[in-house]
Amino acid sequence: MRTASLAALGRPALLCALGFAVLALILFAMSALRRRVPAGRAGGRALGASAGFTVLAAASLLSALFAHDFSLAYVANYSSRSLAGPYTVSALWGGMEGSLLFWTVLLTVFATIAVYRHPNPDSPAVTWAGAVLAGIAIFFLLLLAFPADPFARLADVPTDGSGLNPLLQSPGMLIHPPLLYTGFVGFSIPFAFAMGALVSGRTETPWFTSTRRWTLFSWSALSIGIVLGGAWAYTELGWGGYWAWDPVENASFMPWLTATAYLHSVVIQEKRRMLRIWNVSLILATYALAVFGTFLTRSGILSSIHTFTEGSTGVWFLPFLAAMLLGGLAIIALRYDRLRSENRLDALVSRESAFLANNVLFVAAAFTVLWGTVYPIVAEVTTGVRLSVGPAFFNAVFVPLGLAILALTGIGPLVSWRRMSKGRLSRLVRPPVVAGIAVAAGLWLAGMRSAGVVIAFALCGFVAVAIAGEFIRGGRVYRASGDSWPAALAHTLMRNRRRYGGYVVHLGIVLIVIGFAGAAGKVERNAFLEPGSSMKVGAYTLTYEGREQSSTPEKQINDATVAVSRGGEPVGTLHPQSNFHFAQQQPQSEVAIRTTPVEDLYVVVTQFDPDGAAAIRAFVNPLTWWIWAGAVVMAAGMSVILSGGTPHGATAGATGRVREPVAAAG
Amino acid sequence: MKRRGLGRILATIMLVAAWLLLATAGVALAATPQDLATDISTEIASPYCPGVTLHDCPSAAATDLRARITAWAEDGWGRARIMAKLSSEFGPGIRAVPPPGGSGTLAWLLPAGAVIAGAVVVAVLVPRWVRKNHDQAPTGATDRPLSPDERRRVEGELDAFRGAVRGDQWSQ
Repeated sequence: MRTASLAALGRPALLCALGFAVLALILFAMSALRRRVPAGRAGGRALGASAGFTVLAAASLLSALFAHDFSLAYVANYSSRSLAGPYTVSALWGGMEGSLLFWTVLLTVFATIAVYRHPNPDSPAVTWAGAVLAGIAIFFLLLLAFPADPFARLADVPTDGSGLNPLLQSPGMLIHPPLLYTGFVGFSIPFAFAMGALVSGRTETPWFTSTRRWTLFSWSALSIGIVLGGAWAYTELGWGGYWAWDPVENASFMPWLTATAYLHSVVIQEKRRMLRIWNVSLILATYALAVFGTFLTRSGILSSIHTFTEGSTGVWFLPFLAAMLLGGLAIIALRYDRLRSENRLDALVSRESAFLANNVLFVAAAFTVLWGTVYPIVAEVTTGVRLSVGPAFFNAVFVPLGLAILALTGIGPLVSWRRMSKGRLSRLVRPPVVAGIAVAAGLWLAGMRSAGVVIAFALCGFVAVAIAGEFIRGGRVYRASGDSWPAALAHTLMRNRRRYGGYVVHLGIVLIVIGFAGAAGKVERNAFLEPGSSMKVGAYTLTYEGREQSSTPEKQINDATVAVSRGGEPVGTLHPQSNFHFAQQQPQSEVAIRTTPVEDLYVVVTQFDPDGAAAIRAFVNPLTWWIWAGAVVMAAGMSVILSGGTPHGATAGATGRVREPVAAAG
Repeated sequence: MKRRGLGRILATIMLVAAWLLLATAGVALAATPQDLATDISTEIASPYCPGVTLHDCPSAAATDLRARITAWAEDGWGRARIMAKLSSEFGPGIRAVPPPGGSGTLAWLLPAGAVIAGAVVVAVLVPRWVRKNHDQAPTGATDRPLSPDERRRVEGELDAFRGAVRGDQWSQ
């Protein structure tokens, strides 16, 4: 009875949240239009109340999930009595309605914090930003109130639920979706503040500085979320890979690309007061792509294993997306004159030019991914044939762009702001270029003949040495003051966390690219094995020893024992499984992986014969370990950046002055 | 000046050519019939799993189709013959790669267009912006020696930085 009353709180709480969001919008607009500060402050409080009621609604749904209140359609569809506790939490975002509720919780809470914690909350720019955020919240709360009601009740209450999809019952699913949503939703803050600055006419407002942490935080969450998604695919889906260029994967990757471009180009705005229109456009594109991705996953317009059930919710996103894009572009056009750059490029060889080239490549890459993602729709409309676009297309068009971006990752730090003499540039570039050539030559001599792989590894060497050089040049300043090398390097990192933390992130990217390049040496073998028989994959011999069966309340477990040897020497035993989940009446493979930094041996049983013979897919995936190691290094770099204070250049930009550590200049 | 412009255009063409070369290099030559079968399974949509290539589809029917493709490859069938067989059996929609001609032309041309547009922006517009800036700047404004006052300010900033380095206690 007590749990039923908690669930009963959900819908009224949502309606209250909607009411307060509308009130916040009215108060913010009143404050901005009539210059009334108290109304703006009241708007902030109304936004906070909306956040409180949205959290209450989410808590109600969570309590209903834990209480197995199957009178709620959502609880019946996405949980069951046998579902383990932690996965009951992930059921909150495992279905469409719950995921939208979770999204709205993040949105309203982030919006409240951003408005309240702003150093100048009464300024018109912030008031307009509050209005934009309230408007976005209203859209999502309307979705929850009507087409995607998570508190809809069933006429016939089942005794048990359908349970959560077995693929989602993975530790990665406890973290991956919240991180992705944090990234997507977090971009609404810089977007709203950019729009707020433009609508209020305060184009000189450093909206990018006040939202820098939000942007970095959102980008970091999205980056880690994407990598965790890859790790989930690798360990759960059983096809031996981590990235399939699936529309939903692309949906998370596109805003990441434009946000990465923005993170670089906004530095030029801070330091040189250039690229203002470009930066506003990039943040608009980033948020629009985040919403577009949400539309893709909820409309059923594209087929993907990641999409939610097809429904009417997706249609609601189109007018929202159109209004956001048209409104954003109209405001940018309206303020075009005020957004023009105060400074121009001083020289072709400068960090500004390198960042500009980096931006062009990132945007071209985002466009390429967007085009490949929507091409099946275009093809169906124009030719009537439903095509799909798979990894072969994306790899062909994206990999060269990715390699060019990687090259710029190494070049950018070597070039000074404004201008640089050719002599100094050639001195700085020489060691990384020599390293790159040495790596390429070494690989060629070792027998590697794939041009793409050789170029990728050579660029990794180039970038790694360029980054090391930056640390060494920075460390020399502290060495001159008597520090030991480790202390000098740590000092360098902590003194300018944004810059050197960024280099650590770049180093993480290098490690990830090493992992990607290793995939070129992937070997796959398939065999149907009787107990006692063997197959070869790469240098390994796999001997299928037999199957053991057992049961739990959720599933029947079929556990294969596979003995692994290499060059005649036993190296271990793997236990891939092919299980049957009772609630979903669905088979599910559990992968067995032997991981080393050199290569992964990846074994999956796709099916068992009644007599115990097993269909086995085995892969040798070289260097995959480096992808996860790179992600850890990236996360460390992000932590360093986020732990830093206001950037040096943020205030210097007003005079076009550039403050860089002496070490960087000499 | 004309020679420099020509050089930039040539550099742009070389960059785009390198991109196209790398793009085509992505299609690796399969070493064994099993590798050919694996390659083909990544280039076709699974008839059994929506939105997933045959390679990534976990269904039993997909396992059977992969085995059939492997058998064809082991019988000596080439890529073109296997793709033709699959297209006749499942329709042209089974290809997960837009065809290089006809309706697929646009799919391949637009990304190349984006790359070329980007390369043109960098190769043509940026030097123009730089030149414009030089035309607008007072003569010698960027290269003149520092005035005594500016020199004093630079020295002051350097002293402050050196002091910060010496007195820094690991705080931001």
